[in-house]
Amino acid sequence: MKSGLAQPMSVLGIEIGDVHTRGHLFDIVENSYRLIASSSAPTTSFYPILDIGDAIYEVLSRIQEICGRTLIEKSGELILPALPTGDGVDQFYITTSCFSSLQVVAVGLLNDVSLDSARKLCNATYANLLESIGINDRRSYSQQLDTLLTIRPDLVIFTGGTDGGASRSLLRTAELVSTALQLLPRGTRPQILYCGNQVLSAQLKDVFERYTTVRSAPNIRPSFEGENLEPALTELDALVMEKMNEEIGGLKRTSPLCTTPPQLKNQGFMRMIKFLGRQYDPLKGVLGLDVGMNYSMAAYSNDRVSILNTFNFGIGSGLEAFLRKGDIKDISRWLTFPVPDTVVSDALWNRSLFPLSVAATKEEIAIEQAVLRQMLQAMMIDLESREIMPSLRFEPIVLSGCTVSHVADPVRSLLLALDGIQPLGISPLILDKHSLLPLLGTIAAHNSLLAVQLLESTAFSNLATVVNITSKTRAGSPLLYARLDYADGNSFEVEVKQGSIISLPLAPGATGLLRLRLTSRAEIEELALIREPIKVQGGVCGVVVDARGRPIVLPEDQGRRIELLKEWEFLLGAA
Amino acid sequence: MNAQLTQINPLTLIHRNRLLPVPGSVNVREGQRVAPEDIVAEASIPARHYLVDVVRALSAKTLSAAEKMITRKPGEVLQKNDIIAETGGLFSRVIRTPGEGRVVSVNKGRVLIEAESTRIKMQAGLAGKVTQVIPERGATIQCYGALIQGVWGNALLGCGPLTTDYESLSGELKTSAIGVTSRGAVLAGGTCSEAFLAAAAQEKIGGLILGSISSSLISTALELPYALIILSGFGDHGMDELSRSLLATYIGRDVSINAVKWNRLTGDRPEVYIPLEGEAHAYEEQAMYTSGQTVRLQTGAYAGRIGRIESLLPGVTLLPSGLRAAAARVVFGENLREIIPLSNLDVIFSNDRFIGAPDEGGVLWH
Repeated sequence: MKSGLAQPMSVLGIEIGDVHTRGHLFDIVENSYRLIASSSAPTTSFYPILDIGDAIYEVLSRIQEICGRTLIEKSGELILPALPTGDGVDQFYITTSCFSSLQVVAVGLLNDVSLDSARKLCNATYANLLESIGINDRRSYSQQLDTLLTIRPDLVIFTGGTDGGASRSLLRTAELVSTALQLLPRGTRPQILYCGNQVLSAQLKDVFERYTTVRSAPNIRPSFEGENLEPALTELDALVMEKMNEEIGGLKRTSPLCTTPPQLKNQGFMRMIKFLGRQYDPLKGVLGLDVGMNYSMAAYSNDRVSILNTFNFGIGSGLEAFLRKGDIKDISRWLTFPVPDTVVSDALWNRSLFPLSVAATKEEIAIEQAVLRQMLQAMMIDLESREIMPSLRFEPIVLSGCTVSHVADPVRSLLLALDGIQPLGISPLILDKHSLLPLLGTIAAHNSLLAVQLLESTAFSNLATVVNITSKTRAGSPLLYARLDYADGNSFEVEVKQGSIISLPLAPGATGLLRLRLTSRAEIEELALIREPIKVQGGVCGVVVDARGRPIVLPEDQGRRIELLKEWEFLLGAA
Repeated sequence: MNAQLTQINPLTLIHRNRLLPVPGSVNVREGQRVAPEDIVAEASIPARHYLVDVVRALSAKTLSAAEKMITRKPGEVLQKNDIIAETGGLFSRVIRTPGEGRVVSVNKGRVLIEAESTRIKMQAGLAGKVTQVIPERGATIQCYGALIQGVWGNALLGCGPLTTDYESLSGELKTSAIGVTSRGAVLAGGTCSEAFLAAAAQEKIGGLILGSISSSLISTALELPYALIILSGFGDHGMDELSRSLLATYIGRDVSINAVKWNRLTGDRPEVYIPLEGEAHAYEEQAMYTSGQTVRLQTGAYAGRIGRIESLLPGVTLLPSGLRAAAARVVFGENLREIIPLSNLDVIFSNDRFIGAPDEGGVLWH
């Protein structure tokens, strides 16, 4: 009996990804929402099917088989709301990232001011900033014009000028955009998002509207120091959703069935990280990372600030963008077996051609995990450059997407995360085993109870509590003694040497007291922590002390490097 | 589970849309026969402009004074050294055009001139008949012939007589294979080196078909002046035996290459067309994985190899990587059997013209 809840509901969530469509059925078990069944199928919004319906049908058919409940009628319609027999569902949600990003040119005044804010605006969603044009641009007017004409973007973000500030430069820049709009054939003209000096908003909107559709938002840089991205981001997301509705076949037909309109995946993800950010230590903040097939997301939030970056790279078709920017040696250095760089490069380029393919051998999955490490590093570097996070101490770090699904062994998942993120301090690492976070964020807007209860369920598992120690001591020197006192009175003590990583067993759900006793030659961050025992949560990999230093430096020599990487895996008990 | 399909099809009905990215003019009519290099549609996109600031150049004191000096109107076509503006009077100073162009706008004492426009020319890409004209955008072209779908292309079109031999198709193309007969010809081989790519460019070949290529040559390939299509992926595994056999059959015949980038959303895919006499049905574009299908492996140690699904395994299978996936037992040649995830298989569709398990080098269709 569904008791104890005001409105017990069965909920179906569908995530339409670039490669896979995933379905999750939630319902109430013993007064609490639980994940009942999940399934996935290749996304069918691509040629030749061009409709999401086929994949959703396949997913629902499999979920029906798993849970023995009928969700679709013989006619193929979803049973909505649920019947007294328990068949069907009461709520239906869709989240998606299965579309191409908006191609954007930013036009503004100063590179370090308004155009920098425009760049951050694009980074926050599925927008690819191709070009920025400002008043310090050394190109001539005609060259800037030609650039706009050649790129033919989907959108021009027009910004610049503090509110009430100088307007002449902005009007000159507007003339450039207006000329480009006139020269481009109808049907190929970009839309305009005006988010600059508000004094000129109405005037410039009138000018641009003669040629194209204009959206406006409050100034993203209302003062020299102040930044206000949120309202413009809402407009930008609305444009992305327009594109999403145009590109994804069958979405318009399916939308009316949804409890809330389909949402962008990154919005749902951010909503959950923001929620978690308000629950945990405000001095640390919550970090969420999701590497997808085409896009990836990094989100940070504490009780004061939050930030979301969406990256145009991933482990599927998004690999091409990543490989073009990086050096293959940075990826192959993480491999625990000798392999020529060309083989690594060929394997990854093939993966970009065949995003549905699965790593079948140990070597193939190791190459994927190597590139995942580099992607996490790139995401962290970008997040740090935003200068919003007070430190690299997080509580907790939540891993979602391919960082979870492309790793079969929890120890390798842990090493992958630590190598990529390289956090400081004490961080619990949580695995979003079914990549539910974005969907929960979408559902939370209407059914927050489900999202909260799922976070506390076994759909999320504590991978480990990691104590990260930095020291300038020589590699191999004794650094500290770590003792873990268990609730049953037993304890486990181990010596930790500089450059090593060790695990102290502590089962998921259990707690213990960790005591760190430094040797005289060692230094440690968060000195206060060592005076008193630290209460730690258990995890699949227990409690981990990472004394490899920050940043992690790998030997240049391939033989020594492989030996070291293998040693770290061995110390943690990798399968 | 829906299968991923690739055509290595000896004879099928092919129809392809050839559309401009922007509105333009269509040069063909329904029923017209076209050659691969024929321009089906074309459009003009403004590409290079220059701005003449008359106020500054002629030191006009006011905007209205400058505008009086301007002698041109929007739309006027200019030749090199034509006068754009002049001060007038006994010692008149003038501004002349640096080159040919067209006046786009005259505004606030400034003249914007379009010096150059890019002409987008949409070639037919394959020899066939125009079956439909799409106003302002292009046409649909239809033909019967052999079709080989690839996985990567350098975004160019190419055509010419197929010039190769079975040895080259089986291995690496050597620069020594390039000669005077290569000019304008489409070459084909298992794989090749950077030196070969460069030598082929010098000889102005019509196009290049490769089984595979090292990913380290991608940047070079994107700069080539000729169309390059990769049939099965990156690496040194060369060309699969089905593509090899099909191409070997048509040495000397005219082939076309559309080395477009693979777009999963639209279905546009790099392809090789060999127009043939005879008629056939259109090929299937959807199928489920079933036993008996001929498949090509996408990745891993067997990348590019052709096999046959012996049986589909029930449920999901634990792979050596530790991941679980729906899989099949695939047989290569006579005795080699491997468990392969279905997601790593391309079903090779051939209008049922391939018979039995493929053998090295054999002709595989009726």
